[in-house]
Amino acid sequence: MNKPFKPYPFTAKKYAARVPALEQGVEVKRHDVTIVGGGPVGLAVALGLANHGVRSVLIEADDSVCHGSRAICISRRSLEIIERLGALGGFLKTGLPWTGGRSFYRDTEVLHFTMPQDENQKLPPMVNLAQYHIEQFLLDAAEKRADLIDIRWQTRVKSIDARDDGATLQLTTPEGDYALETGWVVASDGGRSTIREALGLQLEGTSYEGRYVIVDIELESERPTERLAYFDPSSNPGSTVLVHKQPDNVWRIDYQLRDGEDADEAVKPDNVMPRVQSLLDMMGETGAWSPIWITIYKANALTLERYRQRRVMFAGDAAHLVPIFGVRGANSGIDDADNIAWKLAFVVKGLASDTLLDSYSDERVAATHENLSYGTKSTEFMAPPSFAFDLMRTAVLSLAAKHPEVRSLINPRQTSAITYAASPLNVVDRDAFASGPVPGAVLAEYPVTIVEAGHGREAHLTDLAGPSFTALCFTDDGMLPAAFATLAHALRSRGLPFKAVPLSAHLHPRTQGVHAWDHTGRIFERYDARPGTVYVLRPDGHVLGRWRDAQPGDIDAAIARALCASTD
Amino acid sequence: MNDAQLDAVYTRLCKTMTQLGEAKTSLFLARFALLAIGEMDDANVSLRLIDEASDGIAS
Repeated sequence: MNKPFKPYPFTAKKYAARVPALEQGVEVKRHDVTIVGGGPVGLAVALGLANHGVRSVLIEADDSVCHGSRAICISRRSLEIIERLGALGGFLKTGLPWTGGRSFYRDTEVLHFTMPQDENQKLPPMVNLAQYHIEQFLLDAAEKRADLIDIRWQTRVKSIDARDDGATLQLTTPEGDYALETGWVVASDGGRSTIREALGLQLEGTSYEGRYVIVDIELESERPTERLAYFDPSSNPGSTVLVHKQPDNVWRIDYQLRDGEDADEAVKPDNVMPRVQSLLDMMGETGAWSPIWITIYKANALTLERYRQRRVMFAGDAAHLVPIFGVRGANSGIDDADNIAWKLAFVVKGLASDTLLDSYSDERVAATHENLSYGTKSTEFMAPPSFAFDLMRTAVLSLAAKHPEVRSLINPRQTSAITYAASPLNVVDRDAFASGPVPGAVLAEYPVTIVEAGHGREAHLTDLAGPSFTALCFTDDGMLPAAFATLAHALRSRGLPFKAVPLSAHLHPRTQGVHAWDHTGRIFERYDARPGTVYVLRPDGHVLGRWRDAQPGDIDAAIARALCASTD
Repeated sequence: MNDAQLDAVYTRLCKTMTQLGEAKTSLFLARFALLAIGEMDDANVSLRLIDEASDGIAS
């Protein structure tokens, strides 16, 4: 069986290499921040810094956005971040939203799972789109910030001299080589990170033996977007197959190799085509199809011990490799970017001590451990590492149709927002709260009406947060208490991005200024809030602290403590 | 038992069997079944579970 390959339905723009003004082989301008790696993580860091007015240079080895089969699932939390980065439009326009999936054992459906989704949400729990789309939409946003983001295409790092006061990067391009001086480096250069290797650091953890063939195909089909998992399907007995729909009639098919199968043989088109055809036959897909891309995947659960090495910060796959099952790869990288960007911006601008960057490592290493614990469970089910996991999986699958109590074991444990429960930045609750996001958590979403000069517009709670510290002040009259207005003015006059937004359970059409009307009453209830309650958010939207009867001094102290945070 | 607890028990069971090895796993599972029967202390439930566990294996 031989089918001609088709290209991805996407043409990437090519960019030329460029060498800046040099003096004796060294770039004349010294940079505050240099980001190595222009994938989703590097682009997100650059956009996050730009939101705070901080310039960066982005070093990218290739001449365009990526090619091939890579990340395809972007979570609600990532979309919230991407919205703050100014790139959401393309993701929602092109991405395919989805809310759940089905698992089959042989011919029987044994699990129908859904991700959290209700009328309170602004964004879908997940969208599928190809990584070239992800990078393109972020690049489009970055190109609009060309005053702050300087992208150097076709530029590779040859070596790094990392010091306590900065780093020197030796770079090579087709147009010539040069050295670049920088205050800080963000290493987002992927799973085979050059920077990580140059600094002699190693990822530690577990590598799994189970291998999956990953095939992208073009197929016209009206089938809805959901995650499909087939265990021991008649099309491919003894194997496990995953199917995801992507935009533009591209479908991702992952299937597990049997023990002892030779990987080099398995990825040969002659061996792949019949398996795909028999899968499509089983699914009842009769349309013509073409292969686009074939690769092989082995699950890794690996991480660096710390993500900060003096002036070098590691993010994304350069810092950690999480299994694909549960879609935590790109999503955790985007979370890294969101966490590091505001902290680095505050340090560069002199608003925070550089110990704030240690909290990046504390928080994101903890997040990786949580991601790995879920990812490991998913991997042990999807690619059983021993006869025992395999035997128990067969037991679960064969019981699941009649015994709902075992079905949760099949659930793929999709990524969800992480709470920095042990963050050194958190203000421990002084007051008792029966509900609401705890310090370190992200906001639970609810609709609000934003009222300005008597006019209301529908919005959501996350719309109130921005790339600043944000105080959500629960009030009776929709007016910001005068003492908070004074605090906001004082903080901003020190150059610290801060805003305070009054929320009210009632509409106050004649109130001066802006207030958010909790028109469903759910926010006051679910945040256990009453007039006087304040939640303070960090620039990445995580809760810094909350108070029943907050005084401006509480908020001032919490922010000051965070920005000088010590992790000893 | 919540989902996370079930997950943890499941993983411990798998790891214990992995350590014992395939040859000893049947005996391990038989012993586990006997202990579970003892804990349940209900003949009717035990008999029903024997039927349900065997249901569909032959086919």
